Amino acid sequence: MSALEIQNIRKSYGALETLKGIDISLESGEFLVLLGSSGCGKSTLLNIIAGLAEATSGDIHIGGRSVLGVHPKDRDIAMVFQSYALYPNLSIHRNIGFGLEMRKVPKVERDKAVREAARLLQIEPLLERKPSQLSGGQRQRVAIGRALVRKPEVFLFDEPLSNLDAKLRMEMRTELKRLHQMLKTTVVYVTHDQIEAMTLATRIAVMRDGRIEQLGTPDEIYNHPATLYVATFVGAPPMNLLNATAHQGSLRIDGTSITLPMPPTKAQIKQEQQLVIGIRPETLYLDESGQLEAVCEVAELTGPELIVTAQAGSQRLMACLPPRTAIAEGEMLKLGFDAGSLQLFDRATGLRCA
Amino acid sequence: MERQSPLFTCFLYVCAVLLAVVILAPIAWLFIMSISPAADLAAKPLRWWPQTADFSRYKVLLSTLENSEGAAFTSSLRNSIEVAGMATIAAIALAIPAGWAVSRTPSVGWSLSLVIATYMLPPVALAVPLYMGLAHLGMLNNVFGLALVYLTILAPFTTWLMKSGFDSIPKEIEAAAMIDGAGLFQTLKIITLPLAMPVMATSALFAFLLAWDEFFYALLFTSDQRAKTLTVAIADLAGGRVSDYGLIATAGVLAALPPVLIGLVMQRALISGLTNGGVKG
Repeated sequence: MSALEIQNIRKSYGALETLKGIDISLESGEFLVLLGSSGCGKSTLLNIIAGLAEATSGDIHIGGRSVLGVHPKDRDIAMVFQSYALYPNLSIHRNIGFGLEMRKVPKVERDKAVREAARLLQIEPLLERKPSQLSGGQRQRVAIGRALVRKPEVFLFDEPLSNLDAKLRMEMRTELKRLHQMLKTTVVYVTHDQIEAMTLATRIAVMRDGRIEQLGTPDEIYNHPATLYVATFVGAPPMNLLNATAHQGSLRIDGTSITLPMPPTKAQIKQEQQLVIGIRPETLYLDESGQLEAVCEVAELTGPELIVTAQAGSQRLMACLPPRTAIAEGEMLKLGFDAGSLQLFDRATGLRCA
Repeated sequence: MERQSPLFTCFLYVCAVLLAVVILAPIAWLFIMSISPAADLAAKPLRWWPQTADFSRYKVLLSTLENSEGAAFTSSLRNSIEVAGMATIAAIALAIPAGWAVSRTPSVGWSLSLVIATYMLPPVALAVPLYMGLAHLGMLNNVFGLALVYLTILAPFTTWLMKSGFDSIPKEIEAAAMIDGAGLFQTLKIITLPLAMPVMATSALFAFLLAWDEFFYALLFTSDQRAKTLTVAIADLAGGRVSDYGLIATAGVLAALPPVLIGLVMQRALISGLTNGGVKG
């Protein structure tokens, strides 16, 4: 039985349609990340699942039961907000236990559950304080604790880490992953951060303009993006996209004389078809016999790697090379890559040539 | 400001003292007048400092002898407390649900703007219709009638203040409470209202002061001790052929005391910044 089933959800504000038919089915224990830039409808979808907003049409099942028109408190969900949304006037203990208190759980049982959650999140010493006395990371833990004690069917996270600084964000990310591995809960997690999506998710739904662009495992999203949008959205530095044309069974990169062998593909590639080649920067390496030739423009050392921006004809190309590579500006680079890592997209539709 | 020249610091203090003097001088003069013998106040040139402190006027005003000036004053004091108190409580009771509703439902915000717009009308424009209305209800010269009129002044103002107070409480906190299983009234009682306490206290204080100081409607709608408020009673003291300035000053001092007391009591609730820490920032 699926824990969460989203069926053809649509949402319009007047003439503006923000969700254009979303279908997702989530097994129990899955960690689904809704990934997209702001305004793609991911938060709206989460609010509809939570019951904070009503869908214009479509249905949602949680634990096999339709929750259409069901009050948020009866949906068997818990939500962690971007702004934490702690109750400032209540102690941390009461903040965490509030959901149980409202559900009339006896005090002894409630107390035990709060302490258990606090222990898991390592915030036991803070229980008697008020939210204003905590740091951002601690507040976030309290917000997660508040969701944990309820033991709901589905956890909803609305960009929970975006208010934290970079170092803390990484720690909390690991923490969330640890919690998920330990508790095996079903999670829907909204973020615009592709690293969070890649690291946390068992499945990622990349959203754009109210549609799901691709739904798949992090590996599928990263290595087999279904569309050009997904290819550019996931990965930093982003995937290199080079305009190319099919020519006598091989690929000619536009504006250059470089030809690459056609990768194995089941799709029918027509002669002179306008294509886009996608190559991840980290799959490129310096190779004397490499077919990709480009002129180095900028080389940036980040520490673990050297990011080289180069020009192939009039098209830009980025490569992540080992940090100790000696490259001078203006140098002609010969780059090689593994034939299997090359992605092919149709330029007109933006879709992958499978 | 760590690096400040001593001269500038000195200047700041001088300004602060000057401001305090400007604000406090009239009050001090009011008190001095109230304890000066009548001869000192009528002397030419004016005697700024009384030769003997004379507290007899306080006794006169606070006496409850039948038909005395004291009886008129104490009854007006009671009327003022009743009218301002009732109007304030009713205004806050109305403003909480109304302000919350407008704050959480922006689409009905226009209705509040409309009410605020009528608030801009000068009192004199409404005096005649209000008089006729009160007469029709048989509530002229009646503390309840006057409180009802004051409510029409206070409610828009308090609703507007409460609305901005509720605006500063993030919606997410209420959404979180809702998901946690709290009903609307539980959410308001446990979460929202405690957070809105400072702005509630502020609105109550300002509403009370507004009602306490109101003169125009009180003058029009009351005629004797049953409903006359302090502002009218003080005006009556000045209305006779012979005005005792000391007595007027004494009434002023006494009239100022209740709001000051309320302000002191409310001070603790007025401490804002209670919402810090619930959400980011």
